[in-house]
Amino acid sequence: MSEKVFVLGGEQTDFQRNWTKEGKTFMSMMREVLDDALEKVGISYDEIKRLNKENRVAVFVGNFDAEQYANQGHLGAFLTEVNPALFGVPGARYEAACASGSVALDAAITHIRAEDYDLAIVLGVEVMKTVSSSVGGDFLGTAAYYDKEAKGVQFPFPKLFGKLADVILERYELKEERFMDALAEISRINYANAKRNPKAQTRTWFMNKEHAMARGGDNNMAVGGRLCITDCSQVTDGAAVTLLASKGYAKEYAKKTGRKFDDIPRIKGWGHRVAPITFEAKKLESVGDKYILPWTRQTVKDAYKRADLDVKNIDVFETHDCFTSSEYAAISAFGISEPGKEHIAIEEGTIDFGGKKPINPSGGLIGVGHPVGASGVRMMLDLYKQVTNTAGDYQVKGAKNGLMLNIGGSATTNFVFILGK
Amino acid sequence: MREIKTVTILGANGAMGSGSAGVIAAFGGAKVHMLARDVEKAKQGIEAAVASVKTDTIRARMIPGSYDADLEKAVAESDWVFELVAESYEVKEPINTRIAKARRPGTIVSTVSSGLSIGRLAKAYDEDGQKHYYGTHFFNPPYKMILCELVTHSGNDKKVTQALGEYLDKVLGRAVVYTNDTPAFAGNRIGFQLMNEVAHFAEKYADKGGIALLDEIMSGYTGRAMGPLATADFVGLDVHKAIVDNIYDNTKDEAHETFKLPGYFQKLIDAGKLGMKSGGGLTKVVKHADGKREKFVYNIKTGEYDPYPKFDIPFIKEARQKIKESDYKGAMEVVKKASGLEADIARYFISRYISYSLSLVGEVVDTKENTDGAMGFGFNWVPASAFVDFLGGPKETIKLMEASKIPVPKLLKDAKEGKKFYELGDKLDARSLFKG
Repeated sequence: MSEKVFVLGGEQTDFQRNWTKEGKTFMSMMREVLDDALEKVGISYDEIKRLNKENRVAVFVGNFDAEQYANQGHLGAFLTEVNPALFGVPGARYEAACASGSVALDAAITHIRAEDYDLAIVLGVEVMKTVSSSVGGDFLGTAAYYDKEAKGVQFPFPKLFGKLADVILERYELKEERFMDALAEISRINYANAKRNPKAQTRTWFMNKEHAMARGGDNNMAVGGRLCITDCSQVTDGAAVTLLASKGYAKEYAKKTGRKFDDIPRIKGWGHRVAPITFEAKKLESVGDKYILPWTRQTVKDAYKRADLDVKNIDVFETHDCFTSSEYAAISAFGISEPGKEHIAIEEGTIDFGGKKPINPSGGLIGVGHPVGASGVRMMLDLYKQVTNTAGDYQVKGAKNGLMLNIGGSATTNFVFILGK
Repeated sequence: MREIKTVTILGANGAMGSGSAGVIAAFGGAKVHMLARDVEKAKQGIEAAVASVKTDTIRARMIPGSYDADLEKAVAESDWVFELVAESYEVKEPINTRIAKARRPGTIVSTVSSGLSIGRLAKAYDEDGQKHYYGTHFFNPPYKMILCELVTHSGNDKKVTQALGEYLDKVLGRAVVYTNDTPAFAGNRIGFQLMNEVAHFAEKYADKGGIALLDEIMSGYTGRAMGPLATADFVGLDVHKAIVDNIYDNTKDEAHETFKLPGYFQKLIDAGKLGMKSGGGLTKVVKHADGKREKFVYNIKTGEYDPYPKFDIPFIKEARQKIKESDYKGAMEVVKKASGLEADIARYFISRYISYSLSLVGEVVDTKENTDGAMGFGFNWVPASAFVDFLGGPKETIKLMEASKIPVPKLLKDAKEGKKFYELGDKLDARSLFKG
């Protein structure tokens, strides 16, 4: 597996942009990000044409909900609008709520592993600023069991992840103050990291620990049980592209572009597990288990096993911090701490930018922003930057292996990938 | 430079004072003395600061005070004194005299002035004070508009300048642009040149659509959210006059004549029609009995307000469509090839904007990234260098300038073809500033 699929790089849009305000659409976003990605990686549209003649290139579009946000389906076919070089290139759209980017990556990896194609263009995209936050909140409710968990509920997801916080607190018998302090620290770290990332949505926003701790009131409203605005990632418009390649093509590419083949990172492991869709079912299933999200833990374990690696080998993590409680639970799922002792890892600075196991040096979803269908692809791009030492101001020193966890729904669809050299 | 733990804000109740104080207290975590004419006004400033950055956590470290009772004590314990009182030497100079007497050695003192001479204001201070005196030109509203022009004068110390620049950038999150002590500095010099010359053209073509036509020609497809004349109406015609008069009186460059205030601006100012803040100026919005709003535009010929017209200019429509689809170079091709008066005017002003921005490098700023940053972060206009790339590179841009009889700046003549001219791309995606 680790010698089959290579990552050549890519690009993301500036997640601070509001494309509707600019008078532009998801379509223009796709055009800009693909043009930028190809330019950055050094692959031309003529090269795409050449590969297409031999049926060696395919397109995988991750998108959650263009039907509702943009009144448009069939996004897999939309890259043909970006450039005529893509006429005839096999392409489809992949959907798994917030893990849509990962399911597109998974499809691309599978096809390359099966030697169907040599180059895969994986593009995650979501335009979300087309509607108000309450309407958007309702759209996002379809990532849960809408009828049971979201219908008529304002902002259903903060409430579901607020329940996760409640379960963590009760199950591990944590002191509330210490637990909430740990969640605030997660916010602080993600926002602080995002300040170094020139493509992050929140890079100019104010946030510090004091503010994250000051929950309640007009300036940090409660939105889901214990969780307040500062505990949430915020949706945004955005797209990201990563280009995956077969070993043969990666060698060809290295030669053509003057890069060293050994410097091109490869997918070393992957995991994909689906937990029961409702949060209530997850909660009931996990009673008696060490892990509150056992399927998330299992997905990480699957990836470690396939990569023949363990947490000690991972230098950097990109995780799905849609809420502070989801990042909290991920810490033990990665094996950084024992379940129930995540707060200690946080307090000791283990997951901080300069810590032993930095999580989300990019800023994560809380800092970079969460364009739902693009997040998984953006995480892969960030792992690529980290392990190739090209992350600029947010580079983790000496990172060789990186792991990403991307989840859809209330930790329902779980995807993990490990990238390294 | 000393660590900035305590700051005094003078003019704490104004929009700029409260907004800047909010940024300093929040991002900088500083204790802030909020000084105004009286304590009640200062308290209002604190609430405005909290609202501007949306965090209650700063309220406890903001201390209200008045100039009469508290200035000397506050200044004496401050590491930075940020003065944001009215924009005139008559108001600023006496305050500077008081600050100078109370200031400890090593304390930074700065002004938000958008046009006064920093060197002249610095004269109120002793040698150490002059060394630590700067222009820190924040833009309104400070939390959202992150530009800070850091204006230096001949008495500054390079090490202090560098440390202050780093503090403004890394701690306060400002996009710092370094400018020399020249009239209106970089952003306003370039921005108001364009706005004022567009205003002259509106007069010249008053019977073809005047103000509304010129703003249509210079609308979003030319890389700005708001037309130049709508911007003048937004900032206020009195403010516009103060800025262009200052530049006209104190500079002598090739665009000198374009800084003369148009006669109809003066007429409107004399009539108290200063723009949006006074209920009308170049345009006005009337709310009808049924709640519907209708926009009107000043007719330069008749002095009346006419209903705001709609235009149907084919090349503009075509360019907007291209931008909507993120085909920026395609949009510029449309502009380059279009015929007719409107297209000639568009090409003239695009050329003028690029030419004037680049011509100030060497005088107002040291590098083009500073003028680019000023326009991108301060005005939300596509920076001149980025425009050069969208137009197809230096050669194509020079062709456009020559056809419009606009001087070609040396920087552009010397530029290498085939290499990206815009170098702020990683900090500011210029494409986001075009509106489709």
